[in-house]
Amino acid sequence: MNLPSGTRNYTYAEDMAILRTKTHWALFIGFLVLLFAAPLYLGNYWLGVANLIGITLIAATGLNILTGYCGQLSIGHAGFIAVGAYTSAVLTNRLELPFIVGLICAGFTAGIIGLIFGLPSVRVKGFYLAIATIAAQFIIIWVINHWSVTGGFVGIKVPYASIGGLVFRSEASQFYLILSLVALCTFFAKNLARTRVGRAFIAIRDNDLAAEVMGISLLYYKLLAFFIGCFMAGIAGALLAHWIGFLNAEQFSLTESILYIGMIIIGGLGTTIGPIFGVVFIRLLQQILTVEIVPFLEENIALPAGFATGVTPMLFGLVIVLFLILEPRGLAHRWALFKSAYRLWPFSY
Amino acid sequence: MKRKRLLVAGVIGLALIIAMLPISAACAPKEKTLKIGISTPSTGPAAEKGAPMGHANLDCIEYINSELGGVAGYPIEAVWLDNGYDAAKVVTNVKRFMDEGCLMFGTSSSKMMSACMEIANRAEFPGLVCFNAPILHRPPQHIYGQMTDYGDDWAAFAKYYMDNIWKGTGKPKMAMHLLNNTTGYGARDAARAKADELGIELLPFEEHADTTISETESLTRIKAQNPDVLYISSTPAPTAVIIKNAVELGMYPGITIGLGHAGITKALVDIAGADIVEGVYGVFPTVNWGDNVPGMAKMTEYCRKLHPKDEGNMDYITSWAQSLIMAEILRLAVENVGYDVLAKGDVESWRAVETQGIQKLNGYDVGGLHGPVSYTPGDNRLSKSLRIFQIQSGAITPITDWIEAPLVKYEEFDWFGK
Repeated sequence: MNLPSGTRNYTYAEDMAILRTKTHWALFIGFLVLLFAAPLYLGNYWLGVANLIGITLIAATGLNILTGYCGQLSIGHAGFIAVGAYTSAVLTNRLELPFIVGLICAGFTAGIIGLIFGLPSVRVKGFYLAIATIAAQFIIIWVINHWSVTGGFVGIKVPYASIGGLVFRSEASQFYLILSLVALCTFFAKNLARTRVGRAFIAIRDNDLAAEVMGISLLYYKLLAFFIGCFMAGIAGALLAHWIGFLNAEQFSLTESILYIGMIIIGGLGTTIGPIFGVVFIRLLQQILTVEIVPFLEENIALPAGFATGVTPMLFGLVIVLFLILEPRGLAHRWALFKSAYRLWPFSY
Repeated sequence: MKRKRLLVAGVIGLALIIAMLPISAACAPKEKTLKIGISTPSTGPAAEKGAPMGHANLDCIEYINSELGGVAGYPIEAVWLDNGYDAAKVVTNVKRFMDEGCLMFGTSSSKMMSACMEIANRAEFPGLVCFNAPILHRPPQHIYGQMTDYGDDWAAFAKYYMDNIWKGTGKPKMAMHLLNNTTGYGARDAARAKADELGIELLPFEEHADTTISETESLTRIKAQNPDVLYISSTPAPTAVIIKNAVELGMYPGITIGLGHAGITKALVDIAGADIVEGVYGVFPTVNWGDNVPGMAKMTEYCRKLHPKDEGNMDYITSWAQSLIMAEILRLAVENVGYDVLAKGDVESWRAVETQGIQKLNGYDVGGLHGPVSYTPGDNRLSKSLRIFQIQSGAITPITDWIEAPLVKYEEFDWFGK
């Protein structure tokens, strides 16, 4: 583990610490203060964007555990998010159960559904597993659309999230709720990677045959990865449901699932920081393109009719392609290079 | 090394340009304006409808500001945001409208409005949707439908059919082929609510997706039940598939076919072919391009000047009318409560716009582009008029005058849900 020049670890606890130096602690506390003070300087719109980023981040962290750490490709992640969203919506709307019950059940329901669709991973991998998870996406959405309990094609209203007497009505209060869960999930993912389970995931990803020979149960760990990944997707879905207030199955399209894969690839597979970079990058890019660039072009530049409306998908695609060509290991790699340079400073090598 | 520096400089430059966009806008001199938000799906899967609708909204506001001097002397400032037909984006769009002090907002698509209506209803932020569905306004809250909904289409067509086409004895059998979203389900809900009253026997509903390429199987099931009339509530492409299949199966001509307003457009005739859809009936809430109504000339002039490719698009008419209605709402609100109340751009302003603007609408004429616009307590549909059309020699020809669609209180039926 690289440390800044002149810094050494003398105990096992120091070696395992996530935050190892005073500078780390200072930066971390400063970052937390900045985050928790966000409602003071951000309006509802940007808090809304931040909430969307937070919710996406929880789901992407789950997908990163499944795909980035354990190597099990899932192209049905939006379907699992939908399971969580609808579970919480049905429990809190139709059965009028508390939000916290809906949230926990959302995670477990999505996790169990993930286990079922993860079963093929024991026999197939790569493209074949991708196709199996696409099937999950379609089956889940079909069931939601044709089941009266979920509101079918019309959709279902979802009440505000509330814990005890505290109702999360404002964007700021929702921000704190989502931020807390993001912190919890990120901390869990960071630690999971350093445990026996995390090492088993990585072994399976790198060479599942070798992992099995070493005594790692592929059935157990692959299904565990599906459960954890989908559990987080379910939690994200529940938060999304209570944040938007109305669910319709069209909100959980295959395009969203593919976008999630794009996020963790751009961020950097198999790193905790990767999904954070990927999600922030993609969501902000979406917002900037559709909210700033396109209206600006429409209003100020005499372009051929309809051209400006094509700018978003064109630029979005271009940025992703360029990114994959220029930095295929993701933003997390660029971040690691930056940290190395910082740690070695003032020496060049 | 040199390349790397260039790359870094390029990235920093791009970031600065992006960062400067809102700053440059913020530095512009401020004037007293009336802000409204407009969110259209100008990119994404519904861009072919959303893009011309966004153009029409903005073109109309350009016309109002440049030729009419704005509203009560105040120019309208439109905050237009593309939502990409994405639920999460339209939610953040609406939040931005509220942040920026918009007085109300408009969307074109019923799906987009369904995604953001809860946010708007919770905040009491009034919204106006072009394409309307019962779920958006039943029970009535803070979302208003510019026109009739998909359920009204069915009710109007069914009544016309019973009064003018059905000559048999007993109850006619009606089959319904429904797009599997609010477009189809709006018609289904109306049929469930009104079929008995109108004396129509409903056959089991058939559904289709907007990507359908063949409905032979479902039409074979329908054919086996000897329907007298087939009602299709869908968009043009699937509607064309269904009618073509009905012709192939020998069902049409022979039975009557009726369409909801999402289906009977020029695109249907182009896709299916004029000979295939000859004689098909449909319901539409606006006039056609070129019709002799007072508002047509100015709309056509601006469309030709600013977005010539949109001419002939029926959706353009709808959104042009939407902007006219929003302007009239603002005019009434300014007249009734004064500019200062509206200038706040907060919940007090939104309430003023709703109670002193929207709810004061009474017979406002949108230049004849669609029926008159009025608010009736308990009914959030602003225009309740539509006309029956028939495709005659490839042209979508009106065969009735404006028909008033009665209010259906869907929430009183158990099957409609809470």
